[in-house]
Amino acid sequence: MMMDGIEKEISQDRRAFIKKVLGGTIAGSLLLVIPAGAMELSAIPEQIPGMRDDTGTFISKKRKFAFIVDITRCIGCGSCCVADKNEYQVPDGMYRTWVERYVIDDQDNVFVDSPNGGLDGYQEPRKDIEHPVRDTFFVPKLCNMCEHPSCVQVCPVGATYQTDDGFVLVDAKRCVACGYCVQACPYSVRFINPKTKTADKCTWCYHRVRKGLLPACVNVCPVQARKFGDLNDKDSEVYKILHQPHVVSVLKPDMGNKPALHYVGLRREVV
Amino acid sequence: MQHEYKSNYLSHVIKIILVLVVVGVVGVAVRAMVLPKSFGEFGHYRGDAIQDEINRPNRHGTNASCLVCHPYIREMHLAGVHSTVSCEFCHGPVADHVKNGKVTNKLPKKEGKEIKRLCLRCHNQIIRARPKESIKMISMPQHLEQKHVRTDHNCNQCHNVHAPLMWVNEAKAMVGVGEETK
Repeated sequence: MMMDGIEKEISQDRRAFIKKVLGGTIAGSLLLVIPAGAMELSAIPEQIPGMRDDTGTFISKKRKFAFIVDITRCIGCGSCCVADKNEYQVPDGMYRTWVERYVIDDQDNVFVDSPNGGLDGYQEPRKDIEHPVRDTFFVPKLCNMCEHPSCVQVCPVGATYQTDDGFVLVDAKRCVACGYCVQACPYSVRFINPKTKTADKCTWCYHRVRKGLLPACVNVCPVQARKFGDLNDKDSEVYKILHQPHVVSVLKPDMGNKPALHYVGLRREVV
Repeated sequence: MQHEYKSNYLSHVIKIILVLVVVGVVGVAVRAMVLPKSFGEFGHYRGDAIQDEINRPNRHGTNASCLVCHPYIREMHLAGVHSTVSCEFCHGPVADHVKNGKVTNKLPKKEGKEIKRLCLRCHNQIIRARPKESIKMISMPQHLEQKHVRTDHNCNQCHNVHAPLMWVNEAKAMVGVGEETK
C-alpha cells in the first residue's frame, strides 16, 4: 500500500516534468519561428532612386555610375574601412579600400602614411615632421572603375571583366591568381586574396547597388565625404557635382584609364 | 641531264593535313568542354559571373534596417547630431545579428576605454588633417579640465553616444543656465 503511493507520486512527478520540458521546448521553438521584425531587403528603403520597382525587382536601363570622394570633408575616421572589412570579411593586411594621410610641410616635403589602412582610425599625430605643416588632409582610396581598365585587358583567362554599367569585377571561379592584373592596375587596388586564392578588389559593392542600396562605405560615412550615384540621373548629387563648377579631378589622368572615381579638392601632391 | 627530284607520292602531305585536322577538331572539342556555358554571352568573360556577384550576401543593411526594430534608439539617434553616424560602424554588420528575419546573435556594445577611443576616431583635435568645419573637435584632456570633471572620465558619462547633446541640454534646462548647445 505504502509502495503504491510512492510509485504513484513518482509517476505524477514524471508526468509534470515531461509536461514542463515539452512546454518549454514548444515555446522556445515558437520563439525561433516567429520572425522578430523581419529585416527583409524590400523593407529597407531604396537609397539609389530608380533602381527597383514597387515589387523590389531591378529595373534594367542604361546607367553610368560615378563615385565621388570629397577630400575637403573626409575626417579620416575609418568607418568606410571598417564597413568594407566587415562586408567582405577581408583577411587582415589586405585592403579593398583604405585611407591615406597626407602631410605637406612648408619645404614641400610630402609625408604619406596609412597605419593598418586607416582601419583603426588615426589616433596619433605624426611626430617626425621638423618643419611647420603647410597642408594636411586624408585621401580615401578604392577601385577607380576605369572606363579603359588595364586589368581587364591583361587578364589571360577572362576572369576580370567590365559590365555594361561600367563596373569592373572579378570572376572568382575563373581567376587563376596569376597576379597579372595586380601589376597592371595603375592605382594598386588589387591584391591576391589569401583566403579565396584569387585576385580581389573593391567592387563598389555591386551586390548592394543592384539591390538599390549605396555601397557599404558610402552608407556608413558620417560626413558624406563619399558619394555615389548615376550620372544619367540629372537629380543625383554626383551629376550636380560633375556638371557644376567644382574643384574635381581624377588620379593619374595621364594613364588614360578614364576613372569613374572622382575627387573633390584633390591636391597635386596626391598620387 | 637533269634529275627529276619531284616525288609523285603525296602521303607526307596527307599526313600533315590529317594531323592538322585532328588537332583542330580536338582543340575545338576541348574548348567547348572546358569553357563555361555562358562564356562570351556579353563579352570575353563568363556571363553568369555577374549574377554570382549580385548573389553575394548583403552583410550590411542601412540605418533604416536597424532602427525599424529599435524604436527607442531611433527616436534618440535621429534627433541628435549623430544622426548621420552609421549603427553598423560601432555595433557591427546586421548579418551578424539577424538572419532570415530572426535574431541570431547580440551585437557587441563598446564599453569603458573603448568608447573613448571610438569617439576620438572622429573628434580628436590633435589630428590636424581633419577639416574643422566638418564636425566638432575637442582635445583631451583639456576638454575634461575645462569642464571641471575628473580626467579619467569617459565620454559617455556626460554624452549619450546616440544623441551627444541630449543629456547636456537636459541638464542645462534643469538648472536653467546657459544656451542650448547645438
